[in-house]
Amino acid sequence: MDNAVEAIGLTKYYGNLLAVDHINFEVKKGEIFGFLGPNGAGKTTTIRMLTGISIPTEGTAIIMGYDIRHQPIEAKEQMGIVPDISNVYNELSAWDNLIFTGKLYDMPKAYRESRAVELLKLFGLYERRKEKVQGFSRGMKRRICIAMALMNRSSILFLDEPTSGLDVQSVLIIRDMIRKLNQQGLTIFLTTHNLEEASQMCDRVAIINHGRIAAIDAPEKLKRTVESLQSVEVAFATLPSDALKELEELPNISEVVKEGDKFRLFTDDPSSVLTSIWKYAENNNLKLITVNTLGPSLEDVFVKLTGIRPATAEEELEKTGRSKVQGTAQRRAEQ
Amino acid sequence: MDGHSSHYGREIRVAWAITVKDMRTYYTKPPSLMFGILFPFSLFLSFSIGTKAPLTTQIPILISQTLFFASSSIGPVVIPTERANQTFDRFLTSPVSLLSILIGKTLAGIIYGAGISVIPVLVGVAFFGSQITNLGILFACFVLSSLAFSALGILFASIPGQTPGQVMMPLNFVRIPLLFISGVYIPIRELPALMQVVSMLSPLTHTVELAKYATGGETFFGPILNITILTMYAVTFLFMGIRFHIMNQRKE
Repeated sequence: MDNAVEAIGLTKYYGNLLAVDHINFEVKKGEIFGFLGPNGAGKTTTIRMLTGISIPTEGTAIIMGYDIRHQPIEAKEQMGIVPDISNVYNELSAWDNLIFTGKLYDMPKAYRESRAVELLKLFGLYERRKEKVQGFSRGMKRRICIAMALMNRSSILFLDEPTSGLDVQSVLIIRDMIRKLNQQGLTIFLTTHNLEEASQMCDRVAIINHGRIAAIDAPEKLKRTVESLQSVEVAFATLPSDALKELEELPNISEVVKEGDKFRLFTDDPSSVLTSIWKYAENNNLKLITVNTLGPSLEDVFVKLTGIRPATAEEELEKTGRSKVQGTAQRRAEQ
Repeated sequence: MDGHSSHYGREIRVAWAITVKDMRTYYTKPPSLMFGILFPFSLFLSFSIGTKAPLTTQIPILISQTLFFASSSIGPVVIPTERANQTFDRFLTSPVSLLSILIGKTLAGIIYGAGISVIPVLVGVAFFGSQITNLGILFACFVLSSLAFSALGILFASIPGQTPGQVMMPLNFVRIPLLFISGVYIPIRELPALMQVVSMLSPLTHTVELAKYATGGETFFGPILNITILTMYAVTFLFMGIRFHIMNQRKE
């Protein structure tokens, strides 16, 4: 048994709405598996079925060899879960939260207390163990939540948006913790909106869209499937007023996107675009401060596979009042 | 056999852990105090001030109302709150059956209802000359009534809602009319024949009857029928509550 998770025809209907459509995938033991998708794609529904919160309409999932529908107790003993919001008991202290979790797993008293001490020290919360959690910051609550998920020494950890909305320090602590836990042999099932995070951390990712798996592979392999989305990133010391329009008129450029103080020029021939940019800068007496050639990012893959709808992007642009040229993600998706 | 006994032992320990956690966390929450204590005491006071009946005959009414409201209030406070905070999901992802989770929560309601209802018994005996003539019946009244009403609260808590109010409102649509057909305000003997049949179907009727009987009063239906019907309601509410919570899991 090499798989930590096997989803077999997993399906969920909400009334007549098909939220998850007969999906199949495997998560190998010991890997960090990223589960990506736009809002409403079926990520959370899938994780809720895998963890036994929700009963699938059809299909099932095998967790460390146990069927979540027919052997739920055994399957749940193998897993720890960190949901998208920190579902800690605010009225209880950090210590009591961990001890109660130990009781839910029927851990013997001495063992649950030693494990609670170990985890509180690991997450830097031991000194504040007697304080009620309601006074904790969001990052501290997140750490408590992860510590609760680790109480039973699970074999697989499900993390739903673990770093969403946290300060930089908490994000770094949690990412470092996830890597260390994985190095110790824990399988990680991670859903995230942060594609850079998924790219950096995951051995493999699955992209779900409209309830179906659109792609599943290692991040670098997925990036290679969209080689046509190469680009040159350029920034000038001073910004000419018509730069966007003029850059779009350069040869071999399919699209220009303004990203902050930089421009990103999409092309299938980066070398000729570099030459054109040097000439453009020289002719306009501009000083180049940044020139980078970029391969496709996981975000590019994501956009291509999920095909973000133009109307949605347009609406977003209208809301933010920014240039329509920036809303070209969907055009990239159509390439 | 050992495997089975350790499985059941584990389920009981986890259910008790849930009960203790709910007691610590929710007993002093404002909705528990309001719907579980203030509500029955206020109803009782507003009724007793306007009646000429001696106070000793009203103590069983207060005991019954307190058992009814306090026991049935914990589930509708705890479960929607935990659903909103997603802490209910913690139970669903724990290696324990839904039955044990709901038994743990039912037990929290039983202890709350029975615990508070001891107060009117003590006050009645200490200050108003009430007498407990049948301790066994009083015990049965407390255990069966708090179980049935706590299970009723758990049943209503299966209504998808994320605030106690969303469950309390439909629950009160059931609880308050029951006061008028259960011998609380109007003795069953004085009801028309058809209403006496309806009264027999109310679980509160049997709590009132048992409380009266245990304190030296009379029962209309008899304690055997009271105990039988309360037991049937306790089992039915518990079974329906579990079924509805499983249906929720299928829908969620």
